[in-house]
Amino acid sequence: MTSPTPVQSPPSSVSRGRAVAVAAVWGVLVTATLAAVPLALRDRLPDPMATHWSGGSVPDGNMSFTGNLVVAVALWAVIWATLLGLALHGAVLRGRLPRVHWWGFLFGGAGFALGMEGVTLNANLDAATWREALLPGWHVAAVIAVSAAAGALAGYLGRGEPDRAPVRPPADKPIMRLRPGQRAVWVSRVSNPWLIALTSASLLTAVIVTALAALGVLEATAAWIALAVSVPIGLLGIATSTVQTRVDAEGLRVGFGPWGRPARRTPAGAIESAWAELRSPTEVGGWGVRTMPGSGRITLMLRGGDHLVIRRAGGGEFAVSADDAERGAALLNAYIAETSGS
Amino acid sequence: MLLTLDLNDPRPLHEQVAGAIRRAIADGSYAPGDRLPPARDLAGALGINANTVLRALRELRDEGLLEFRRGRGVSVLSRPDAHAVLVEAARELLAEADRYGYGPEEVIHIIREIS
Repeated sequence: MTSPTPVQSPPSSVSRGRAVAVAAVWGVLVTATLAAVPLALRDRLPDPMATHWSGGSVPDGNMSFTGNLVVAVALWAVIWATLLGLALHGAVLRGRLPRVHWWGFLFGGAGFALGMEGVTLNANLDAATWREALLPGWHVAAVIAVSAAAGALAGYLGRGEPDRAPVRPPADKPIMRLRPGQRAVWVSRVSNPWLIALTSASLLTAVIVTALAALGVLEATAAWIALAVSVPIGLLGIATSTVQTRVDAEGLRVGFGPWGRPARRTPAGAIESAWAELRSPTEVGGWGVRTMPGSGRITLMLRGGDHLVIRRAGGGEFAVSADDAERGAALLNAYIAETSGS
Repeated sequence: MLLTLDLNDPRPLHEQVAGAIRRAIADGSYAPGDRLPPARDLAGALGINANTVLRALRELRDEGLLEFRRGRGVSVLSRPDAHAVLVEAARELLAEADRYGYGPEEVIHIIREIS
């Protein structure tokens, strides 16, 4: 697959304009190809044509010529419209990680749509009826591999500048006054109901699969595969769908899961400063524990909005979703000042 | 939610906790409709028994500040009225005055002077 080179260095609005222009032209080209090639080959294709193969090379599903054309164009149109919408919305191209994903999906998605239509047409070409349209399995594997490679290359070329760490003047950080003879603590608990629902569904699946396997309804191998997927998702989900954040005289404590355990403690002496910041899932690349390799910045993202951010004395940043984060940061800074002063 | 307790406060602990939560709501960190962190989180952070926090929360519910809802935890119903906020502020002022060796009569005298 040949692909135009995506833009290299994007200072925000310029890069967005170029990204939208490239996406628009590229999208029209892909749509035109998806429509024109089947129409040009129409005389050599059976109608209905084979459109579904299960494992083997012999087809087990068919669709009319028009139906196949509409599905192929619609599949691409959904990917294209989503990506264009995200680019116009803006925030997605600002961070490096979402930018890599965006370019990757633009070219990888197009590669997949074009490739799948290509192997389908190739299998059906000159077949008398749809039942004789044979599709070698490696064709599909090749399409997936090539489109993944194209997506990875496009993502790499479109990665742009590394994210600049926001510069924060020390005067900017909130701090509160601690009085002697006073105990001050700050707590926040944030949950994401969608992650909790996903987690519950995974665990429910695990229970059902185990029950079916025990009853002998389900093959043992299939049960193991299902458990290998659903149990880790469920456990990770439990740990990261609820987070409890606490600031006390000892420093910061982040507790995972509904019981706040396991917990991670960062002593006040190991923290340089704390502040509150608005962050969204599009900036950090999604939900859960998010980081960019080499950036040293970790975000525990549960929902868009207020986050408590700390910079460690040894370098590196940690952010966690928290309500009322400004006061938490102010208290933490007070304890940091107290620790370094004594 | 920021909670501050005065270690020299002679009042029962549950009253102090109720006062701390009232201050946190009064200073605007939690608006009506917002959910409070669970009682056991607050108790764990303060290093006190969860029942003490629950007692404080029930007191605030009876004052009409908080709302208990099954399955949804405790949320803020309304902001405390001016009188309750001023009482908390006066209590803090008296505690601060006490640290400098000033009694309530002297504080009243200072207030008269400046108003």
